[in-house]
Amino acid sequence: MKVPSEVTKIANDIKAMRIRGASRIAQAAALGLKIAAEHYSGDSVDEFIDYLTNVKEILEKTRPTAVSLPNALSYVMLRVFRRYNSGARLKELIEVVIDAAEEFIEYSKTATKRIGEIGARRIRDGDVILTHCNSSAALSIIVRAFEEGKDIKVYATETRPKFQGYLTAKALYEKGISVTLVPDSAVRLIMKKVDRVFVGADAVAANGAVVNKIGTSLIALAAHEARVNFFVAAETYKFSPTTVIGELVEIEERSPLEVVSEDFVKTSKNIVVRNPAFDVTPPEYIDAIITERGVIPPQAAIIILKEEYGWALRDYMLKATLEIEEAS
Amino acid sequence: MKSMKEDFKYYRVIEDIKYGRIQSATEATLAILRAAVHFVNEAEDTSRIREFLRHFFFKALEARPTNALLMNVVREAILAVRKPLEVGSLDETRRVFNKYYNETIKSIRTMNDAIAKMAVNRIEDGDRIFTYSYSTIVMKALKLAKEVGKEIKIYVSESRPGLEGLNTARELGDYGIPVTLFVDSATRYFMKEVNKVFIGAEAIAANGAVVSKVGTTLVALAANEARVNVFVLAPTLKFSPETIYGELVELLEKEPESFIFVERMHKMGLKINDKFHIKVPMFDVTPPEYIDAIITEKGLIAPQAVTFMLREIYGWPFHFAPIRELLGD
Repeated sequence: MKVPSEVTKIANDIKAMRIRGASRIAQAAALGLKIAAEHYSGDSVDEFIDYLTNVKEILEKTRPTAVSLPNALSYVMLRVFRRYNSGARLKELIEVVIDAAEEFIEYSKTATKRIGEIGARRIRDGDVILTHCNSSAALSIIVRAFEEGKDIKVYATETRPKFQGYLTAKALYEKGISVTLVPDSAVRLIMKKVDRVFVGADAVAANGAVVNKIGTSLIALAAHEARVNFFVAAETYKFSPTTVIGELVEIEERSPLEVVSEDFVKTSKNIVVRNPAFDVTPPEYIDAIITERGVIPPQAAIIILKEEYGWALRDYMLKATLEIEEAS
Repeated sequence: MKSMKEDFKYYRVIEDIKYGRIQSATEATLAILRAAVHFVNEAEDTSRIREFLRHFFFKALEARPTNALLMNVVREAILAVRKPLEVGSLDETRRVFNKYYNETIKSIRTMNDAIAKMAVNRIEDGDRIFTYSYSTIVMKALKLAKEVGKEIKIYVSESRPGLEGLNTARELGDYGIPVTLFVDSATRYFMKEVNKVFIGAEAIAANGAVVSKVGTTLVALAANEARVNVFVLAPTLKFSPETIYGELVELLEKEPESFIFVERMHKMGLKINDKFHIKVPMFDVTPPEYIDAIITEKGLIAPQAVTFMLREIYGWPFHFAPIRELLGD
């Protein structure tokens, strides 16, 4: 069966970053599965599973780094396979997809709100806050603190190459929060005036390292040097189960045309423009990760992973062990 | 009033500096000096020259208050023509000023050549060198390295807000040196791939702190973390004697309206007001502990040895004329 055009559109929007931010991507992916299930017009259970798996793969391949994307898809697919294995009928399976997708989207929204409530407690009256890129979890914290009546000022980095900082500035400004945009290069210069840094995450690895928008690790380094607290806001579905078995998080490199003009590329010689979208912040520069389940030190990431993905971890481990056995 | 209007063309260079059309500290200094010598050669009496130089230099320093080279060169220029201006001798003023101009141009070139040669001594075959913004001396050194057959690769970030890194990349690329270009945020990401950092300076303070284009201090911090050596290439004319008297180097900020931010801001429907602002710093300060060496025309020194060099140049106790006094500020 053909993939519905609405689903293709979601996939394309994620790829082109019209849908961006790890939480929004995860929600869109779950929605994609839901739409696909709703549109299924065949009558075979096995065909439905193949079709859904195909949709899942299309959505999964859009961006390689944000782990929230495969986690959201697994959240739904796991529930589907459980029922499929126990012999459920087509109608039931379609319902499972719709329910699980809705459940995930609802969970994601609640989680972001909950992170706001927990994280806001870390903000004091009069704080100057720095944020990078455009993270819904980090914004949730900042906005919540402001709504609690705390007098805060925010620095937002421009966030080259795609200038998401302007979106952050606009969102905060519209809430009535005082915000100043700075070029990414000015981060160390202004760090002296900053009390706390809040950023989001695209993936949290098993050792507590955080993969986030390029520039995050540089900000963490400057914060560490200036003894400014550095917080990461991340829903538990951004923790990466595959890193437990040693897999690396792949850092996506995007088109040079996000950095320079086409004219520059055509007229320059011997220049390679590289555009990594993310970098990795080591756990030692992170004071805490704020999840919807509570505040944890980055080194405790494995606890979240074991609790949330115990099932998946066993699976991954088994697979890894089998591969080793096969190889020998 | 008529005379002010005629002077207008000389002031264009100051606008060029103000709006970033002239970016490097050395180029800015040479351009100011060139405009001044033009005026001196065309003016008809010494009182006009005196009035013009005072105002023109004052405005130039206002446009680029961080530029120690400019400050030092202006100081020497004023001191050189002070006598002939006092006695009102036009011929002597012109002669002295032209002589000062020619000697300074030559000495800046000689100094930069010497620095480039020393820097090349530090470059090894296969080096991957990180640079930032656009520095006349660093460009000279990297091109020289290529000329003497050293195989190097350059890493440079775009260097916002001025975007001087694009010019650096283009010029070196055209020269046949392979360049990797990326956004400023990717500095730490790429620091692992390089083994040296070469940067220029706007001013060097008495404690060895280096004032340079904003973002330089982040590069130095990331280099320090990755144990990559940082070299600053600067003639002693960029040392700021004023800082010995405890003066702070003034860090210039730009109005966002005058810069590259404004278009995007408007597109987003954002307007500057009491709740929304854009900060556009032009320079920052790199502490001496992140700098491995400053390469001057007198040799390679530790940043902490800047005081000794200043002492050599200006004597101890210090005697030099602070620029603001000379300009009657």
